[in-house]
Amino acid sequence: MPRGLRLETVLVVGGLLAWASPAFAQSTVATKTLPVTGNAPPVCAVGSPRLAAGNQINFRGLSGNTLQIDQMIDPTTLAVAAASVDVKFDAVCNYPHRLRLESQNNGLWPTLQRTQAPAPGFGSAVPYRATVMWGVVNGVLNADAVARRVNDQLFNVDLPTAGEIDLKLNIAPGASNARDNAPLPAGDYADTMRIFVEPR
Amino acid sequence: MTRNLKRLAVLSAAAVAIAWSGAAAAQTEGGSDTDTKNFAVVGNVPAMCVGGTIAGTGGTFDMGVLIDLNTGLLRTDLAAPPKVLSGSFCSARSTITVNATPMAAQTFTSTPPTGFSRLVDYTATAAGWTTTPASYATSAGSNPAAVQTRATAFSGDITVSVGNFSTNGGATQRLVADTNYQGNVTVTLAVAS
Repeated sequence: MPRGLRLETVLVVGGLLAWASPAFAQSTVATKTLPVTGNAPPVCAVGSPRLAAGNQINFRGLSGNTLQIDQMIDPTTLAVAAASVDVKFDAVCNYPHRLRLESQNNGLWPTLQRTQAPAPGFGSAVPYRATVMWGVVNGVLNADAVARRVNDQLFNVDLPTAGEIDLKLNIAPGASNARDNAPLPAGDYADTMRIFVEPR
Repeated sequence: MTRNLKRLAVLSAAAVAIAWSGAAAAQTEGGSDTDTKNFAVVGNVPAMCVGGTIAGTGGTFDMGVLIDLNTGLLRTDLAAPPKVLSGSFCSARSTITVNATPMAAQTFTSTPPTGFSRLVDYTATAAGWTTTPASYATSAGSNPAAVQTRATAFSGDITVSVGNFSTNGGATQRLVADTNYQGNVTVTLAVAS
């Protein structure tokens, strides 16, 4: 074999190495990763109220957001008649939050504000008790009707919670802000109860 | 190194000498005025795959707000434009594999309370490389369609898309609040054996 041919062989081998190097730098596997992102902002929502079946005493029912007591007093004694109702709200709060139960009047007070004190022996307002269940919360608000004011209770909830807020209102027989079984002057009595689910 | 250079110099000198001597021989013998030498020039193309690049706004599927703010439930209209991997190629028979992980809350990492979830499932699809797109559903126990094979070398675009979002645990589950939910779609091109 001529020596020159041997040189060409050497060069060819060199050429093979030159191509092989970048080729081996490539991969037989190529991978691309694409993130998929999003966010869930803090949300609290409370639905419309509805009556819980079978837990209604001396209430006519729910009309919109109004609960109407059927017979507020015992017609023979004029003392307050017992009444209770159970109202539920679908609700959700997807972060740690606070439940606030608020009575605007701290009891059932006359809708027409009187300028005069009630006659001796008569009560001027009707106390009631509200219990609320929501997730881990089992709380009570006593609207004692001692004074007409806003009365509220706060309950911290450490976990996201979804389900029903269960609100029970109970008026004891003979309830009065004067004395038990005190008669009640004629008129319309009302309170507004508010439920808040809100940031802490 | 020096020794190799010297050897190359010697070989080069020898080649020149032979070339001159060959021409001299032809003139001297007078049998032919041409001479032919055949030299083999060989090479190979290794089987390889190269992933493409993503044009435009980048490689993230940004789904934005995941939930209906009135209900806390997963939005039913979640959608994102597909991403195109341009310039991908494989020089031989290849497989395309798509894999995906659920979108997971990155801050809320503990087990969520009853009624809540911290995971969003979806289906990732890679189309354009094979007749049947490769697809992977993060909610599925197995994903036989995740790997597709192409019999020939190919160069072209791969369109990656995500869809069919659902809340892990069921549609009645709410998502826990979190500023960052993230999952990943991985597309792999590989030389097939």
